[in-house]
Amino acid sequence: MHATIQKPMEEILSFLRPGEKVFVFGCSNCAMKCHSGGPEETKRMAERLKKKGVEVTGFVAPPEGASLCKLSLVQKMVGENKAEVDAADSFVVLACGQGFHTVVDATEGGLVHPGCDTIFGGETVRDDLINEYCSLCGECIADLTGGLCPLTLCAKGLLNGPCGGAKDGKCEADTNRDCGWVLIYERLKSLGRLENIEAYQTPKNNAKWSRLRSLDVGATVSTFHSLAGERTISQEND
Amino acid sequence: MSNLKEALKNGKFPVTSEIGPPKGTNVEHEIEAAVKIKDKVTAVNVTDLQSAVMRVGSLAVCRLLKERGVEPVLQVTCRDRNRISLQSELLSAAILGIENVLCLTGDHIVLGDQKEARPVFDLDSVQLLKAVSDLNSGVDMEGHELDGTPDLFPGAVVTPEFEPLDLQLIKMKKKIDAGAQFFQTQAVYDTDKFKAFMDKVSQYNVPVMAGIVLLKSAGMAKFMNENVAGVFVPDNLIEEMKNTAKEDRKKKAVEIAARIIGEVKDCCQGIHIMPLGWNDVVSNIVEQSELG
Repeated sequence: MHATIQKPMEEILSFLRPGEKVFVFGCSNCAMKCHSGGPEETKRMAERLKKKGVEVTGFVAPPEGASLCKLSLVQKMVGENKAEVDAADSFVVLACGQGFHTVVDATEGGLVHPGCDTIFGGETVRDDLINEYCSLCGECIADLTGGLCPLTLCAKGLLNGPCGGAKDGKCEADTNRDCGWVLIYERLKSLGRLENIEAYQTPKNNAKWSRLRSLDVGATVSTFHSLAGERTISQEND
Repeated sequence: MSNLKEALKNGKFPVTSEIGPPKGTNVEHEIEAAVKIKDKVTAVNVTDLQSAVMRVGSLAVCRLLKERGVEPVLQVTCRDRNRISLQSELLSAAILGIENVLCLTGDHIVLGDQKEARPVFDLDSVQLLKAVSDLNSGVDMEGHELDGTPDLFPGAVVTPEFEPLDLQLIKMKKKIDAGAQFFQTQAVYDTDKFKAFMDKVSQYNVPVMAGIVLLKSAGMAKFMNENVAGVFVPDNLIEEMKNTAKEDRKKKAVEIAARIIGEVKDCCQGIHIMPLGWNDVVSNIVEQSELG
């Protein structure tokens, strides 16, 4: 899921010009879990903006559990709130960058202000704890490292870690965090697969991770486009 | 062949020292310090933006050292440059007559003074060593043929006091397989741990130079423990420094360094001194350790 945190009110207000009328969109999936843009937060944001003297024409979040990042759904939401949406000069979106852009598309290029910072892809460990375990690099090597991604858990993203900087098993860049490579080592040791990290890892193919990227999705055949080329995967004819 | 390579190859127990370029153009002081000790040491390392602090680059200072008769060791880290720039830097070193190259991962950006900079780490130290091996064999990392082949002498770093040690040893072996021909260690203080470490790695037959970091004061030792990657000064040495009068600190630093060297010189193949600015005592350390 995409972890988000609201922008400070001062920053959101700085996006708005005097007299600008806004409509607020929220998201009932990831942003709801992060308490940054669910139905409750969206209603609250509308009230907070009004208290600051902003004219709010309305607000809406998708039905429970639904994500804002689905274009057909947001188009439906726009249709169902047509009067308020038309009356607005701009839209404040409490969702991740994907949800934010879906509103741009659904309003056909409307002026959209991000109400949240999108931080990372995360595991919801508990209701109050979301941890980052994946960096969306496009080329998963976690099988080698016992399921722990070195790009995400090592501050330097080393593929042949560790560096020499860890102290008491803590990362030199953040002593509150465990050294990712110590975690990998201990995991592989317990799985009896230490030989995985004895082998040389070649440098990362950054062409699969850096932008621009896209995905064509089919029922059994999909293609990942990146600067590294096209990668078509079929689930048939093994 | 560089003097360092020749000395290690022939078991001559070389001593190397280290300078750190300044944040600015006033390099003369550091270069002078290296020139002053050039007859006492085989080569002098020039750090590469250590602690992620912006300063003059290692390559330029290495060239200036060479012009003044000092053999340099170019330190190259992976923090600030991608693979294209790193391979280029290695070729640049070669054409400037620099042979010794120490390949490191690099301290993280957050330890430095430009904390919003992007950490690169396109390569890690093992991949960088492989890049040196490739270039030395006449191709770049993608296998394209070179127009002129360098002959670099690649080295790497190892941290004998890292825990779990097994993990450092796994990586050390990878560095050797990738082409490392010598090692300089991070600071050695626990000589028993170092001897145990050398027991484990002597089977690889790759020369190891024990790293000696001067202890300038108790406060500085504590600072290093908290802020400098890879350095663990034990409490007993901090106590010893604390009980030393200010005017005797240099003498004490030399004494501790010589003591450690005395205890480890029979189990390693050389010494790498990191004087952290106290370049004037390097000669004293060499003499007191009877390495001259």
